[in-house]
Amino acid sequence: MTYRHRLLSARVSISILAVATILVMAAPALAATVDIAVGAPDKVLVGQDVEVKAVLSEDGVPIEGAEVALTYQASLGGESTRVEIATGTTDETGTAVMFYEQRADDNGEMQVTYLGPGTNPVSPYVFTIAVEPGGEQLYRSESGVEIPFVNGTLVILLITGVWSLIALAAVYLVRVGREGRLEEVLSADDGSVWISVLLAIVAVITAIGMVIVFVRVPVLNTDLTDPEVYDRTQIAYIGATYPYQGFGLDEEPSAQSGDPAFDGGKVYFGYGCAACHGVLGQGAVVGPTLEDEIGSLAQFIDDIREGPRDMPAYGEATLTEADIEKIYRFLDEGG
Amino acid sequence: MDTVTNWRERLISKTTRPTRVTTYKYWLWLGFLILITGNGAFQYWKQWQDGLYVTDMRDRISWGLYISMFIFFTGVSMAGTVISAMLRAANAQWRASITRVAEFITAFALMIGAGFIIVDMGRPERIFNVYIHGRWQSPIMWDVMAITTYLTASLIYLYAPMIPDLALYRDRLAGKVGAVRSFIYRTLALDWKGSPTQFKLLGKAITIMTLIIIPIAVSVHSVVSWIFGMTLRVGWNTAIFGILFVAGAVFSGLATLIIIMAVLRKTYHWEEYITERQFKYLGYMLASLALFMIYINVSEYLTAGFKFEEGSEFAFRQLFLEEFSGMFSFYIIFGLVVPVAIVLIPKTRTIGGIVVAAVLVNLAMFIERYFLVVTGLRVPLMPYEPASYSPNFVEWSIAASGVAMFCLLLTVTVKIFPMFAVWEMTEEHDAAMALTQAEETLMHEAAIAGPRLSTEVSPDSGRPAEGGAS
Ligand code: HEC
Repeated sequence: MTYRHRLLSARVSISILAVATILVMAAPALAATVDIAVGAPDKVLVGQDVEVKAVLSEDGVPIEGAEVALTYQASLGGESTRVEIATGTTDETGTAVMFYEQRADDNGEMQVTYLGPGTNPVSPYVFTIAVEPGGEQLYRSESGVEIPFVNGTLVILLITGVWSLIALAAVYLVRVGREGRLEEVLSADDGSVWISVLLAIVAVITAIGMVIVFVRVPVLNTDLTDPEVYDRTQIAYIGATYPYQGFGLDEEPSAQSGDPAFDGGKVYFGYGCAACHGVLGQGAVVGPTLEDEIGSLAQFIDDIREGPRDMPAYGEATLTEADIEKIYRFLDEGG
Repeated sequence: MDTVTNWRERLISKTTRPTRVTTYKYWLWLGFLILITGNGAFQYWKQWQDGLYVTDMRDRISWGLYISMFIFFTGVSMAGTVISAMLRAANAQWRASITRVAEFITAFALMIGAGFIIVDMGRPERIFNVYIHGRWQSPIMWDVMAITTYLTASLIYLYAPMIPDLALYRDRLAGKVGAVRSFIYRTLALDWKGSPTQFKLLGKAITIMTLIIIPIAVSVHSVVSWIFGMTLRVGWNTAIFGILFVAGAVFSGLATLIIIMAVLRKTYHWEEYITERQFKYLGYMLASLALFMIYINVSEYLTAGFKFEEGSEFAFRQLFLEEFSGMFSFYIIFGLVVPVAIVLIPKTRTIGGIVVAAVLVNLAMFIERYFLVVTGLRVPLMPYEPASYSPNFVEWSIAASGVAMFCLLLTVTVKIFPMFAVWEMTEEHDAAMALTQAEETLMHEAAIAGPRLSTEVSPDSGRPAEGGAS
């Protein structure tokens, strides 16, 4: 019964209440005529706040007070499932505005689903929002609590203080030597003024050097005073891959210098042969040496296509004949 | 009773004795040490060629004997600081004859200890990358900083009080020793003339070093413990490690000092200066530290064992019942309980007894370092079989050569540098003599003034036992 009441528009007069009541009696058939229209951006960036609007109407009449949910298709560890990321309630114009923060780097298929009131015979509205990398980084774990004054500057001050004291003590020692000099000016030939000067220089340079080393280290590698940089946790998008600096499996152009032996080296690494056969094909724990007696090219190709014993087979789709030949040249020239 | 000058002359002649007299036994001992060091060097050369593969350390237990040696030796290096700086700061009147030895131990033990870090590296030539690319987030970096600071500070702390003695050697041994040693004395004595200004300046340098070396030393041993304590490994993941390591360092440092003092005393007949009194005082310190160590152990294992978080069972089993139970019980019984008993029972509280206690302590502390490292790594973090590890011949050889090198450094040093702080001992002696004289005068006056005054003076109020003895 509440279903019926909620569906009524504010402008429906009491005089047609009876008619409406009769119509609602045929609930399933009627509900199926609910329309969902969705307004959403086509493209978003990771980290962006996204607004999705859903407009619900029934035969052109906006529905007020209906609940809707926004879901996307998430997959993790081989499992794929729908995840709800926002819900909303329609206002008198039948519009529900939902916000969510774009976290995943891929949304899959998105849906706006009708939740109620009542059981839901309305089929969901399906759409997509493409995700582009960039934008603000998410999934950062804070490295802890920031306590005022307890930071890298304090460490640097401490180190500077300690080393200044050490240098000061050394300077006192130098003055010890100097004092003896002053009393008997240049009379003794067993003098060791030079050693005191040397000591002073070494002490002061060491002290300054140590401070520089330790002050500079955090600047170069991690600025302790900047919590952004100091974060110990890798910051990453979910699913994001860092650009691999080596040779990629799908990076064919990288092995097209024209020199087959040179390219062969790249392919050899790129397809992981080196992991088992050693960097130069000299053999390693898993794979035997490929240095000498690799036989004919035809035999070589056969071996790779078959993948003898513990070696994976590399089919046509993975490794072209041309690439195998390059590897062959590479190994032939002694790796 | 000797006059002050006689006493001083005898002290100088006794101190310089090693530089003048060398017996065949010395050469035998030196040869023995060189042999062991040489074997270690050869094994290290092999390790340098083939990598750490030649050791028995593997992926799961990747720290073993080397790291244990590192901790042990940095611990021993605490000796100089404790004995020398703490006693100097407290102005203890019996310290002068043992401070120098202690300071040498500090410097040498630290060098050897730091060396074991390099030995434990697969690519030792990359050591300087730590200075260039180090990251503060790594406790290893803290360690590098602390040890560099400590080594520098302890060298200055060793050198400063030695200047007057070097000057003494320069003056007394001129023409009696070879050119090299003459050069060393002449150079290092820094034109010391013993003027009041020089004493004042030297005093300032020594005071600065005395005050900063204690916190530096404590920081070193804490940071060494934090290399372990900052991980989530069962057995290492405890805040008590800092205290345990600092206390353990003082403990083994003291024990090493006692042993080396005893050896030097016997070899060079320094009975007059290193007396039973010093051994007893050091023995008391040793015993109280042993009690403290017992307390730390009880506190640690009780808190961990009562809660028994995941993994603790394995850790406790291997330590108390299985593979390492022998080592653990040796450590507790012979390293902590027996030394206390030796010091507390008057019958065994002799020089010999205390030296035995010190040897036990050092053995036990070495074993403790070893099982702390290995048991910590052995607790599986994931459901895999616990690994096993025991050092192989290469590792033992290199470890032995570390010990031999430490002895070698001391052995050579004895022949070159003054092992006694002659000027400080003279000061101490003078003070004691003055005290005795003052007492005698007082007694005399008391006798004249009659019985009324005599109650105010107790006959041997705080007089150092050997002060005026002859
Ligand atoms: C997973 C480890 C592994 C990888 C990766 C691998 N191999 Fe092998 N490979 C082996 C093993 C193991 C054998 C020896 C099989 C046997 O016992 O006959 C072998 C054998 C061979 C042989 C035959 C050698 C002979 O004389 O018997 C050739 C040629 C060869 N591999 C080439 C390659 C090339 C080229 C690649 C890269 C495209 C590659 N392998 C990648 C493990 C590997």
